Amino acid sequence: MTYPYVVWLVLFVVIPMLMIVFYAFTNAGNDILFFKFTLENFTRFFQDADFLRVLYTSLKIAFLTTIICVLIGYPTAYVIAKQDENKQAIYILLLTLPMWINMLVRTYAWKGILMNFDVSSEFKVFVGMVYNFLPYMIIQIYTSLAKMDKNLLNAAYDLGANKMQTFLRVVLPLSIPGVISGITLVFLPAVSSFFIPKLLGGGDYVLIGNLIETYFITTGDWNFGSAISLIMAIIIIISMYFTKKIDKKIGEE
Amino acid sequence: MEKENKNLWSKLVPNIWLILIVLFFYLPIIYVVIFSFNSTKSLNHFTGFSLMWYEKMFNDRKMLEPIYYTVLVAVIATVVSTIIGTITSIGLSKQKKIVRELVLQVNDLPVMNPDIVTAIGLMLFFISLNIETSIFTLLIAHITFCTPFVVLSIMPKLRTLDDNVAEAALDLGATPFQALTKVIIPQIMPAIFSGALIAFSMSFDDFVISFFTTGTGVSNISIFVYSMSKRINPSINALSSLIVAVVTTVLVIANVIPMIKARRPQAEVVKKKSKLSFVPYLAGALALTIFLVSFGNKTTGDFDPIAEFGSDTLNVFNYGEYIGEGVIAGFEDMYNVKVNYDTFASNEEMYTKLMSGTSYDVIIASDYMIQKLIKDKLLQPLDKDKLTNLTDLYHDALQYMEFDSEMVYTVPYMWGTVGIIYDETLIDSEDVETLGWDVFKLEKYRGMAYFYDSERDAFMVALKSLGYSMNTKNEQELLEAYRWLIEMDNAIDPAYVTDEIIDGIINGEKALGYVYSGDAAYMLCENENLRFYEPHQGTNVWMDCMFIPKVAKSLELANVFINYMLSYDIAYANSEYIGYTSPNEDVLIALSSEDGEYYEIDAYVPRIGYENDEAFINDDYIRKIISEYWVKVKLN
Amino acid sequence: MRKLIEFRNIVKTFDNQVVLKGINLNVYENEFVTLLGPSGCGKSTLLRILGGFLQQDEGTIIFDGQCIDDVPAYKREINTVFQRYALFPHLDVFDNIAFGLRIKKVAEDVIDQKVTRMLSLVNLEGYEHRNVTLLSGGQQQRVAIARALVNEPEVLLLDEPLGALDLKLRQEMQRELKRIQQEVGITFIYVTHDQEEALTMSDKIVVMRDGEIQQVGTPLEIYNEPANEYVAKFIGESNIIEGVMVEDYKVKFDEKVFDCDDFGFKENEPVDVLIRPEDIKIVGRTGALMKGEVKSVLFKGVHYEIVVETISGASKTVTMHILSEHDTYNAEANEKIGANDFFVDLEDVDALDDFNLVARANAQAWDEEENDLSIANITHNIENKVGTYDCTFQTQKNTEITIKVHVVDPVYVEDAKKNIGISAFDFFVTAEEVKESMAISTDLKTWASAEAWNLQDDSEIEITDVKFDFDTAEIKEGSYEITFATQGREYKIETTTVHEEGDKVGLTFDRNDIHVMSKMVV
Repeated sequence: MTYPYVVWLVLFVVIPMLMIVFYAFTNAGNDILFFKFTLENFTRFFQDADFLRVLYTSLKIAFLTTIICVLIGYPTAYVIAKQDENKQAIYILLLTLPMWINMLVRTYAWKGILMNFDVSSEFKVFVGMVYNFLPYMIIQIYTSLAKMDKNLLNAAYDLGANKMQTFLRVVLPLSIPGVISGITLVFLPAVSSFFIPKLLGGGDYVLIGNLIETYFITTGDWNFGSAISLIMAIIIIISMYFTKKIDKKIGEE
Repeated sequence: MEKENKNLWSKLVPNIWLILIVLFFYLPIIYVVIFSFNSTKSLNHFTGFSLMWYEKMFNDRKMLEPIYYTVLVAVIATVVSTIIGTITSIGLSKQKKIVRELVLQVNDLPVMNPDIVTAIGLMLFFISLNIETSIFTLLIAHITFCTPFVVLSIMPKLRTLDDNVAEAALDLGATPFQALTKVIIPQIMPAIFSGALIAFSMSFDDFVISFFTTGTGVSNISIFVYSMSKRINPSINALSSLIVAVVTTVLVIANVIPMIKARRPQAEVVKKKSKLSFVPYLAGALALTIFLVSFGNKTTGDFDPIAEFGSDTLNVFNYGEYIGEGVIAGFEDMYNVKVNYDTFASNEEMYTKLMSGTSYDVIIASDYMIQKLIKDKLLQPLDKDKLTNLTDLYHDALQYMEFDSEMVYTVPYMWGTVGIIYDETLIDSEDVETLGWDVFKLEKYRGMAYFYDSERDAFMVALKSLGYSMNTKNEQELLEAYRWLIEMDNAIDPAYVTDEIIDGIINGEKALGYVYSGDAAYMLCENENLRFYEPHQGTNVWMDCMFIPKVAKSLELANVFINYMLSYDIAYANSEYIGYTSPNEDVLIALSSEDGEYYEIDAYVPRIGYENDEAFINDDYIRKIISEYWVKVKLN
Repeated sequence: MRKLIEFRNIVKTFDNQVVLKGINLNVYENEFVTLLGPSGCGKSTLLRILGGFLQQDEGTIIFDGQCIDDVPAYKREINTVFQRYALFPHLDVFDNIAFGLRIKKVAEDVIDQKVTRMLSLVNLEGYEHRNVTLLSGGQQQRVAIARALVNEPEVLLLDEPLGALDLKLRQEMQRELKRIQQEVGITFIYVTHDQEEALTMSDKIVVMRDGEIQQVGTPLEIYNEPANEYVAKFIGESNIIEGVMVEDYKVKFDEKVFDCDDFGFKENEPVDVLIRPEDIKIVGRTGALMKGEVKSVLFKGVHYEIVVETISGASKTVTMHILSEHDTYNAEANEKIGANDFFVDLEDVDALDDFNLVARANAQAWDEEENDLSIANITHNIENKVGTYDCTFQTQKNTEITIKVHVVDPVYVEDAKKNIGISAFDFFVTAEEVKESMAISTDLKTWASAEAWNLQDDSEIEITDVKFDFDTAEIKEGSYEITFATQGREYKIETTTVHEEGDKVGLTFDRNDIHVMSKMVV
């Protein structure tokens, strides 16, 4: 029963990935038959201050976006979770409705609004990212708050904890898994985003995603483009690994 | 009393916060909807109420097509991925843990990977295997990234199933297959449904993966908005508002119905579900599909293009916003054919798409790129017998067509120069006229300028300013040009844009930039304060031509189309609408004369024969150097 | 003893339903009080109001002389053991127990001492750093108790804490809880629906029903002197009979007047009479207070539970006619079809649709592999008059059989004294059908269309007794008598002596075993 899908996965997931790896480690002008492995593409990237700056900027803005999403998202999820059940459903509906509208359309909408403000490209991109990814964070945190056993709160009150103490000692620790999965859902797409910076940031605001697109579409240098993709993929795998570890660690405590 | 106040406060603050958040989420949506009713093109000044953008949208077939494709692909991808995902999940739940874990890890890849990596992987895959991109590759891509979500949705639900229930079914005489369909599947229905929903939303929303894997004529809403986003096009607002309306309605209905049902008291007796209760849903889905498919294939009229030309479809590839209104629709109606009209933003993008195996019949591109294509032997010779309209060309312009002076492979489409455009109320004409290209190094105009995001043109500006040939192979000169650009960037801190410059300067966002003469002609018409200047240091004279690549499928029809474009009426329509200068002498004279649209717009008739003006000569090696430099200039 | 808690007129409404209808109750220090009642009676609600998790709509709570209505939960000197323990999954056993102390900012070394002492009190030494989510139900429950008790509250509230445990563990924990309560010396307020639990542990039981207190008393009082039928039925096994209080010390039921120890009722007041099963003795018929027949004997380990019928119910006897096989066989289609003649009440003729005809005639058809086939076609000439009619059943392949339907206007047996009407008809059936019957009493009732009803309100009364005298496995053609009867008066008796079904016995009891209760206001 699983074999058809396994075949599909190999064909359209595994092999493409391997191809990226292949292109990343070879040079243009290589036939399938006469290829030569090289680390040139990678050295070219890491030895160039400008590219490293792009990497740094991408990580920085992804990081900032994630933090803001947590800071805004957590209170929002908390407030929603405290409402009556009917109201909760309505709020969640209100929040998810924009998510159904294409990301492109939503980002384009901000273009018009941001035109009225004299702010840096980076800020515009930042707003666009927070706007697009905040709902995911809110929903993840909300789910983990809503699932919490209400009796745990009563138990804490019963044992003498006031509302603030109950929040800090019971609610917050138990909602961490939700925060972690929210972080995953925000950081990843933020780091690899390319149309948000392109649409809102103007030509000179370049993130890793834009770099990859430029080298593939405009320059036609697939090898270098693949190398950058691989670098980004590895960054993401590493950060996933770390978040999973933190998640486990908190679970064990 | 104190307690009351505290309670009021603690109730008020959260509600205010929620309202703020909701406002934040809906602000752009409301903004878009409001501006979709704007009576002018502006994106930030509301001047009056009008339905014109909606009219335009509904009249423009090309705008409704993406909606059709988006929905079609989403529906098919959802159905297929749900079925595959369900079967796979059920199969996986019975496998050994090792196998299951391994498959799930691989299954996670499309989910964990950023979409651009998945997109590139698939693109490389298709290219390497010489699979031409089409709606099928698009579907494959969508199914690939949708199915994992279905699996992820169903697996946890399967794990929580009570084994006893399935065993009870077997005990009562059901075959394993019956146990599957009558017991297991009904139980995991909610998970299947939510998986399908996620799959649909992912497919509907996708941009990046579709962008890299779709074929000619097939675009979805996201790609369409992206391609239109360079120019201000409020029809997009209308389109967006339409999508908002549909989505809102569907979601509200979907959520309100269960709420109403829950209020009504539960029926005491469970009504027997007829075996055929799913028939209406199936019929509905079938009807929808048939409607969608037939909508996409409508042709009318008696003329049979296949009999005449051997084909009823034409794939055309052109710059964005580079053809007259209704020209394509006119051709379709005249010959009863369907034209898949794709656009690109740069010659390089066109080249990449062509190299990746997409087949086009007619392409319109620029001189230097055509040189390369001719050299690489990628073009078809034109069938001159068909090109009866090939007369009355403006010979003075043709001197710049050295790459194909006999017009074996190409015929001219539009031509012009590149020059500085500025708002004379904000920029001193003297500065422009004395400094020429160096005006871009003036700090006093810091923050007021655009610079074209095109490496070729940027280096042309720099090299010309330094007095060098823009086709130089001298690496030292190129380095100097690079430094010139860095200085320029530091001095004037321009915004790097492409077509945004047009509306940007018209609307007064910025006051200085350089553009193609054709764009300048349009801009000068729209804003009286603008001036166009071709610098004394010399500039680029360019020629865009139409040609047929070797991979063309509809050869005869391609020639017919080129001929159609060469005709006086169509050449006139094109030139008038986009403002670029026609190579057809009669058209040029007509449009620049007293009755013409571009009377007294000097940008419409560019400079000819100036000794410092040059046409581009293509050199791959130099191009790569320039490309790298340019990335660094922008990063600065 | 000091009055610790006073509930004054507590009223609580949820969603337009009044859950507590005005509760007045006093709880004294060091008491083990149990709130006993079925789900929905309001006991948990009352507990949660006391704990401060719910606010009452009306009434006040006085705690140690002070009104605590406005005191929030975390300030009340009351701790709760929740039904599903509500242990903090992210803290280990030690930290769970220490939670309340840490909130109060008690010094760590003091916490250490107290927690350790608590752990030994609940027999969980050494479990300090265990993961609470991995503990067994009983262990989790003990952690929950320790967590509450370590804060040394004046009152401990327990909300059905033993519900999730199996029987043996539950009984053990009941003893533990009682022990802890007495050792620590604080007031326990315990909520349960299990009457045995209440009897085992409590000093005082509060029986609740639908938001009202039915009775407050010691286990002995509640058991021996239940205030009304509800309490009586809730606690312990009982025989409750409707009677009339002739005068003080004399009560009449089952047509006899008995001496009893109760008084204070009005003359001839209708009452409920309670006699506990363990108080009735089975003796010889001579000189016994009542006579009857043993209907069933159940071995319960500790004793036998014997049901004796002293007054029989209404009955009706009919004749069962066993016919020879008359299935019709259709050679062409290889099908068989069979149906029986039947009697039908004139009143029921109108309701004879196809479904009923098939059922009454027990019409069946099979193919050669014994798979059931459906009856495709039914034709008949039955009218709304007394008489005999034909009815033909047919399969799709035209295999058919014709039977006789007898429409009769029968005479019911009406027992006016008992207010019961009962009817049954003679019927026809084949020996095969009797032999193949999987539940002969039920089938006999169906074949005879036996019914019993209350003469006043037409409500259905169950026919509990089906008497017949044949061997179902060896039955032959012929006619047999079947008697259907309703229940009549039965007494449940607990005794250690063995008896057999059918024994004719006598019953006797002492005057102080009779307990008269006022009739409940519905």
